[in-house]
Amino acid sequence: MEKGGGNGFSLPSKEPKSSLKSSFAKGKDDSNKGRKIHFESEGNLSKGGKGGNIANGGKSAMTKEPPPLELKIESELPQNAKPLMDCEAAQILQGIQDQMVLLSRDPTIKLPVSFDKGLQYAKTGARYTNPQSVGRVLEDLRKHGVSDGEISLIANVFPETADEAFALVPSLKSKARTLREPLKDILGELAKFKQPA
Amino acid sequence: MFFHIVLERNMQLHPRFFGRNLRENIVSKLMKDVEGTCSGRHGFVVAITGIENIGKGLIRDGTGFVTFPVKYQCVVFRPFKGEILEAVVTMVNKMGFFAEAGPVQIFVSNHLIPDDMEFQTGDMPNYTTSDGSVKIQKDSEVRLKIIGTRVDATEIFCIGTIKDDFLGVINDPANA
Repeated sequence: MEKGGGNGFSLPSKEPKSSLKSSFAKGKDDSNKGRKIHFESEGNLSKGGKGGNIANGGKSAMTKEPPPLELKIESELPQNAKPLMDCEAAQILQGIQDQMVLLSRDPTIKLPVSFDKGLQYAKTGARYTNPQSVGRVLEDLRKHGVSDGEISLIANVFPETADEAFALVPSLKSKARTLREPLKDILGELAKFKQPA
Repeated sequence: MFFHIVLERNMQLHPRFFGRNLRENIVSKLMKDVEGTCSGRHGFVVAITGIENIGKGLIRDGTGFVTFPVKYQCVVFRPFKGEILEAVVTMVNKMGFFAEAGPVQIFVSNHLIPDDMEFQTGDMPNYTTSDGSVKIQKDSEVRLKIIGTRVDATEIFCIGTIKDDFLGVINDPANA
């Protein structure tokens, strides 16, 4: 499972899959790419070792500093997809579940396991009671060029400080100069909506 | 992250489903067919929230089956590389730990756990810092970052990391 599992993962870098083999050989260096497919470095090192040296020598300079992993939601999903905050999703899914209780005349229609798990997850992740007001507050970020996906991620992660937000959503860093102040205000505003634990 | 999205699917229906209840039959078949499935592009289809429209049926040559193009709205859950998720730890072993965020399974290898956390065996295997202040064990909640995803027919599997700023345990059941 270890090897097979590792092979199947898509890599964050743009290199083709064939580079997998060489990256096995570099278990010890700290590049993200090498590490993530290592379930156990010793075993994999010896496996990938043969023939990997040449490739390793040529490439290590390039892969040493992988670009920070950025969220590219917009480019990976079709246009008509609208990101939902966890709290919005929780409301929608809860609504469906309530309906199912009333409408379950057809016993063959069952909600799948993934529904229950999704609802469970959305509920635990939902820190706000009122998605609409959270949406309104975060709406301001859009004026500063923050995408829908980034906004939802901020809502879900609920960073306490602007620094935390920049660390967790690296794509915001390019706008850090103009964004820092408004983001600070907005996060302060958000904290007020937080559900009492 | 959850998304609301409009998808399209061609539904093949046997003639015995035709009649007054055609629409209901199409919808219930659609629910049975797509809810709980997953694809690399959209992730898990968690629930259908509405039907946009059902197009004109087309009779398949040679069979009595009719194909209807159906446009439907649904809620999908898809993990992204670079996304931050909160997940519940389900299993800990010396190679790392497994966690679950909704329908998605996530593995965090011990290389992606901060170096100051050591694996401890026992009834409750865990990763603990040398001073014992932070512990990751079953049912701990961790905030992690997705760095790789793999999709197969029925599940999505991710690789995550907690070796970064602002990542790690958020709530420890042992300390609660």
